[in-house]
Amino acid sequence: MEYRIDSQGERAVIKIQGVLTFDDHEKFKGVVKSITGDDAKQIEINLTETKMIDSAGIGMLLLANDKAKKVGKSVQLSGVNGHVAKVVELSKVDQLIPII
Amino acid sequence: MPVVKEMLLEDPAYEAEMQHSDDSRILVVDDLRSSRMLIGAVLAAAGFTHIDYASDGVEAMAKIRESRPDLLVLDIMMPNMDGFEVCRRVRNDLGLDIPILVQSGIQEAEERVRVFDEGATDLVSKPINAAELISRVRVHVEHRRLLLNLRQYQNRMEEELRTAEAMQISLLKTDEEALAITEPRGAKLVSHYQPSNKLGGDLWQIFPIDEDRFGLLEVDLSGHGVTAAINAFRLHMLIESLTENRGDPAKWLGDLASNLYKLLPVEHFATAFYAVYDKRTQILEFASGAAPAPIVLRQDGGHEALDASGMLLGCADDTVYESRRVQLNEGDRVLLYSDALVEDFKDMDKSLSEDDVADISKKILAGRDITDFPARIIEKVFVDPSEIMRDDLTIILMEVS
Repeated sequence: MEYRIDSQGERAVIKIQGVLTFDDHEKFKGVVKSITGDDAKQIEINLTETKMIDSAGIGMLLLANDKAKKVGKSVQLSGVNGHVAKVVELSKVDQLIPII
Repeated sequence: MPVVKEMLLEDPAYEAEMQHSDDSRILVVDDLRSSRMLIGAVLAAAGFTHIDYASDGVEAMAKIRESRPDLLVLDIMMPNMDGFEVCRRVRNDLGLDIPILVQSGIQEAEERVRVFDEGATDLVSKPINAAELISRVRVHVEHRRLLLNLRQYQNRMEEELRTAEAMQISLLKTDEEALAITEPRGAKLVSHYQPSNKLGGDLWQIFPIDEDRFGLLEVDLSGHGVTAAINAFRLHMLIESLTENRGDPAKWLGDLASNLYKLLPVEHFATAFYAVYDKRTQILEFASGAAPAPIVLRQDGGHEALDASGMLLGCADDTVYESRRVQLNEGDRVLLYSDALVEDFKDMDKSLSEDDVADISKKILAGRDITDFPARIIEKVFVDPSEIMRDDLTIILMEVS
């Protein structure tokens, strides 16, 4: 997994590239840190270039969502496609994190 | 040994360290008595208290066999058996990984490489430089001590993990116990469970509801290893305590989900499939939270994947599930499995679709009974046996009789 953050005032877009699995646990902490530390109130996690996600990956998205909520911010998912879309659909993640 | 004292005193940094005593057992091997005495005196002055000596390779091997020293200081050119041969025998014949410090006057790069090829750990130049010898011996003795500690720790951990694994497997029903529940209720069942890295987060359970119905549950907790296993134990207790609504899959799964929500930390959750089979109607009623879609293998050769979509368990407080139904007939089979059977994270194009799983299963089951199905599908799917350990694997096959 690689990620890039584009922050523009109130809004930040975090692009996740590659695969998001158990092995990316440590790296993803950086994403969570920047969500809580950044000035932006609205965070969009863009998954356009995320090729694959496993259950631990879903867990990380939920964690990011939870941490954001606790500091009064909101998370949205975007660019959900391919394998990721299948997993998201099967697990009904959209009921927990809005998808745009 | 006034010479040694002088050598050491030239370097004040070593004066301070000389007081530390170290009871590592060191074997000094050299055919020259004067060399042995010099090395011994340097080491003794540096605080090493257990030093033994051998005057050639043969004597060295005898002493190594007998007393297993912690470190060798070894000369190469010796009568009877040279240092190269000692290295080879220590590594190959005795299989020991003790540090071997070769003292050598060899200058040519090729020969020095050979010393390492034969199994030496390090080189000290000859004539002996006291400070160099002491620091190298200290480094290797310390390194070995850490290695031994680590190995001891690892052995203990492995032992404990094995115990925990046995405890975890004992939570699961054996095929005999499962059959005792399902057979009077019109179904046969075989199962297989294999945890990844010794401990896993998969769990399946079966319980009688009344004379005609039984409930079948398959849960996959996120994560692997100790955390997932501890959660699996807690989940097991939870399942046992949720005795109400067992006949109503959607309701029961909802109860399980809200209890798991209280139990699990936010980034952990579970996928689950819960079904109730009724022998009077031969209907399987089920509810699911993002479980891999179970496959109905029809007696006539057809198949269908069940709709197993639904919210993950443990992420929200009041999740609502939907009960769905499928009509089964005599000879129909239902296959439940954890995602480890189908997912290939190295090459996602190699992941199996539900149709793939159905086709493989049909081939395996053609004209056979279901008894050895789990072993046979594992053999078919996992061409590389090491891949099995990536994730917990559960396979359950039920047959309407």
